[in-house]
Amino acid sequence: MAFDIHYDTKWEGDAVEIYVLVKQVPDPEAIVKVKSDTELDIENKYFTSFFDEIGIEAGLQLKAKFGGKVTVLTVDNRRVDALRRGISMGADEAIQIADPALGGSDPFTTARLIASYLKDKPLDLILAGRQAMDDDAGIVGPAVAELLGLPHVNAVVELNIEDPKKEAKVTREVEGGKEVLSCALPALFTCQKGLNIPRIPQVMNVMKAMKAQIKKIDLAALGLSAGEVGPSSAKVKIQKYLPPPKRPPVKVIKEDFPDNVKTLVKLLKEEAKVI
Amino acid sequence: MALDFSFTEEQEFFRQTVRDAVNRLIMGRVQELDEKEEFPFDLWKEFAALGYLGLRHQEKYGGMEADTVTQMIFYEELARGSCGFAMAANMQILMGTYFIGRFANENIKQRILVPAIKGEKIGTICFTEDQSGSDLGGTRTLATKVDGGWRINGRKQWITNGPIADFATVMATIDPKLGLKGLNFYLVERKTENREGFVSGQRLHKLGSRCSATGELVFDNVFIPEENFLGEEIGKGVQYAGEILNEVRVMTGMCALAIAKNAMDDAKEFANNRIAFGNHISKYQLIREKFAKFWAWYEASRAYLYKCAWLIQNNIPCINDCMLAKFHSTEMCMYAVEEAMRIYGGNAFCTEYPPQRYWRDAKFLLYGGGTHEVLCDYLGRVFCKD
Repeated sequence: MAFDIHYDTKWEGDAVEIYVLVKQVPDPEAIVKVKSDTELDIENKYFTSFFDEIGIEAGLQLKAKFGGKVTVLTVDNRRVDALRRGISMGADEAIQIADPALGGSDPFTTARLIASYLKDKPLDLILAGRQAMDDDAGIVGPAVAELLGLPHVNAVVELNIEDPKKEAKVTREVEGGKEVLSCALPALFTCQKGLNIPRIPQVMNVMKAMKAQIKKIDLAALGLSAGEVGPSSAKVKIQKYLPPPKRPPVKVIKEDFPDNVKTLVKLLKEEAKVI
Repeated sequence: MALDFSFTEEQEFFRQTVRDAVNRLIMGRVQELDEKEEFPFDLWKEFAALGYLGLRHQEKYGGMEADTVTQMIFYEELARGSCGFAMAANMQILMGTYFIGRFANENIKQRILVPAIKGEKIGTICFTEDQSGSDLGGTRTLATKVDGGWRINGRKQWITNGPIADFATVMATIDPKLGLKGLNFYLVERKTENREGFVSGQRLHKLGSRCSATGELVFDNVFIPEENFLGEEIGKGVQYAGEILNEVRVMTGMCALAIAKNAMDDAKEFANNRIAFGNHISKYQLIREKFAKFWAWYEASRAYLYKCAWLIQNNIPCINDCMLAKFHSTEMCMYAVEEAMRIYGGNAFCTEYPPQRYWRDAKFLLYGGGTHEVLCDYLGRVFCKD
């Protein structure tokens, strides 16, 4: 599995600035239970959302081609492992937007926080996962682009840039085929499986990530107040979590062969209605 | 804080990173690695490229100088993937290169240690012979002083990485009559057209840990230069060996933890799905008892092993603790793999299901770092003396 990418061309223009939006989500193996109407009990096993890793890899491949800087950015009061993951893969900088007032914010608020941070920053490209693997909402990426007034393309599976100050060619999978689009830069793209295979971090970068200082940005630094975030400002609110229906009890057929086969067929037809 | 059992945020991140690498590189190949019984050079190359083989070596040679607790996290996570591959990698990281890092001159370090950390050269350590293993005083491989160096004669057995090794740290005696006081370590390289060196003897076919290459090394009057003597003083080999025995024992315990957890996690899933007499078998008290006992002993083992890692890290004498923890965790593992076999019922007897592999792999852990009979004899003696 080779991860080193070599390009013949060398970019001689201005440094390229790439931001990747990342999120730490529960590991697929983590046990998640409904605790109350609006709370989940999540086992303490988290990992970086898979689609976000694809975004980091895409950013790093572009950095290998054009030079410049890749910054990973998250909104999370507690977990910064997604940022460390980004650095261990090769990102240059990590930004954590965190503030006690952020608890209970909705995805749109998350997007506003990110947009507030990025609005004055020189940038050429923002990458994000097509959706987070926990809530599958897929809102934050496009919302950040809208708030910043940038074009965006969702779920890209190919990304080609010849001039990072001008235009990108991206491909999306659509019903029955693919759609090739050109998009003026700066822009925001959300990344879909197939765009690349995220690299496995090398241990020296893991060490660097373990020691990395994470830059923390609070509400005051963003020029926002507590009233503009959190549950009170949320436009979308969780009303109720419902657990999946419990598996019905097992029915044991106690008759001997061949009567048990007849009964089984009858049950499959009449009760389970699968044949 | 006087008592703190938590891992740091950085250590948790490290564990997650190693786990991810193991999941992606090894987990999908576990059965193949076991069935083929070949050393997976392709996997070795991929794994070495990530840099973990330098886990405990100095950064200037390409290592990461990880603290002992972090090292043990690595060993635990790697063994979760493949015990055989873990044995090969751990040999390279710890025993196979330790004395070169500790005693060799700069020239040897550049020629051997640096490529070993990159995975380009494979190393091993040789203790065991046909009549000695845990009983190091019975070592017969002879090192004879000659002009400009030493001549090594003897045969070493049960050498992990032996059949594929490029270099070996060899324990040999200057006089068998001296027992433990005659032992030293010597660096010997594989024989080539231009260099004297060891040759491989018989390769062993093993019950478990099958993808690691294990076999015999033969030293037929091999000349090595003086710089290949690994130590500061003649006759201190056993003392030097003691420097890593604690780590070796705790590392072995970490492998036991990983195999036991794998076995019982799989058994739990099986028991939660297998129906007998109208119920999932996990509803029956005799099955539940197996999990309860495992859980209690597993948590105790894990806590003790990481305590030992912490003691080593802080240079607190802990030779008895490391023996006890290795003994406890490996016996706990024996219980776990045996009970997993029983929970799987007849399915456990098929190679299609994993419990038999855990059972076979686990047996390998009984011998490294001293057989349990030798450890218990010593520990019992120490306890009674107190």
